[in-house]
Amino acid sequence: MKVSEIMTRDLTSVEKDIPIKELIFILDSAKMSDMPIVDEEGKLIAFISTKDVIKAALPGYFEMLHSASFIPDMNQFAKKLGQIADEPVERHMHSDVICVEVDDDDLQAADLIIRKNLKSLPVVDVERRLVGVVRRIDLLHHLL
Amino acid sequence: MIVTVTPNPSVDVTYWVDHLKIGKETQEEYLTRATDSDISAGGKGINISIFLARMGLENIAMGFVGGYTGHVVVRALRDEGVTTNFVWTGSGETRTNLTVLEHGHEHVPILIDGPGVAVAESEMNRFMRRYRRMLKVADWVVLAGSLPPQANLAFYYELAELAKQAGAKVAISAGASCLTHCLPAAPNIVKPDIREHLSFEWMKLRTKEEIISAGKRIVRGGVEMMIVSHEVIGDIVITPDSIWEISARVQTTQFRNLVGADDALLGGVIYQIYSGAGIEQALRFGLAAGILSAESREKVCGDMGQIEHEMANVSLKRI
Repeated sequence: MKVSEIMTRDLTSVEKDIPIKELIFILDSAKMSDMPIVDEEGKLIAFISTKDVIKAALPGYFEMLHSASFIPDMNQFAKKLGQIADEPVERHMHSDVICVEVDDDDLQAADLIIRKNLKSLPVVDVERRLVGVVRRIDLLHHLL
Repeated sequence: MIVTVTPNPSVDVTYWVDHLKIGKETQEEYLTRATDSDISAGGKGINISIFLARMGLENIAMGFVGGYTGHVVVRALRDEGVTTNFVWTGSGETRTNLTVLEHGHEHVPILIDGPGVAVAESEMNRFMRRYRRMLKVADWVVLAGSLPPQANLAFYYELAELAKQAGAKVAISAGASCLTHCLPAAPNIVKPDIREHLSFEWMKLRTKEEIISAGKRIVRGGVEMMIVSHEVIGDIVITPDSIWEISARVQTTQFRNLVGADDALLGGVIYQIYSGAGIEQALRFGLAAGILSAESREKVCGDMGQIEHEMANVSLKRI
């Protein structure tokens, strides 16, 4: 089966200059966990996930800790999140975006989602324009 | 690619009842139990998107959605194979429109349309950015339905201007007050919403003669086609070269759900023109799609074979 037959036909995406707080609003409203980032032509240029935003808002020493129990409360996280709220998405996005083309095989999409531990995978056309997204549930829904 | 814009979409709730009880005192007297019901995504542009998808035509639906009902709209479109590109609003839920169809009187439905939610300036800016992106792939843009509360009446004018600059053709289906503001952009097709009082600033459209006179004036301004539903089963179409009267040999008592029939008509015309058909074929197909939609429980008929068969009942004459 082609990716075009299983993908969710949704073009919800943002531009790289929008602030993080706007990204969070769109992710929450649209019930998405990841967001494709496109240029003014609608071409996919990057990707950002809720995990990336959380990581950006965590204290710098967090990665050295083995457990979150060393952090007294969420205040530091909230404060840092407030500090980055007006920063452009560009500062925290991944430009090495993983995607599939609309005519690719569904197996290729499944392989990428599993091996790269992705929640969703952007789908582009031959000109790299965003045309949809394959989510984990799309694979399950269409295979059953 | 066809892009539809529905700025004020809805969740359409439809009830079919044997007899609508109104103005009684006890519960037994005022409780009306429906014999059938339906929930669907609605709004003129959305109905057209669904119709086009059922005809096998890929299209992108745009507009504003919010809250739980916004998700109902988006999900319904995706299930139909329509690509969605909506801006989420933070000011409330996408509206709900209610239709009550009483047995034997389906051609005069009771309609209660919600007002919708206002769109913030930042959300409008977000939409405009996305809309400009979509124009890069659009051959046709369909601007259809009412505007959100407090929206600028020139909203469609601005969208039509941008679409024409980008080389796309434009169809607009809206109330006369909104449509009046769009005419300077010379959209290719205009269809006034007959549910609203049909009147332009400079002329009321009550009779066939008044419709033709207004249509001639509008096409002189650069519009290629104006379609006006003059009677339930007939339309008047004005182009720079001709005036057409199209009608169908059907009884209004056959109608089961008029909501969406007008949108199926415009969708049918656009589908045919987009596919390279001539005007006569497009009008026959459009009216047949509208009639079949009115006769079916669903808002828009998606059966190509049935529509082509129904075209035999459509008559078209130049006047």
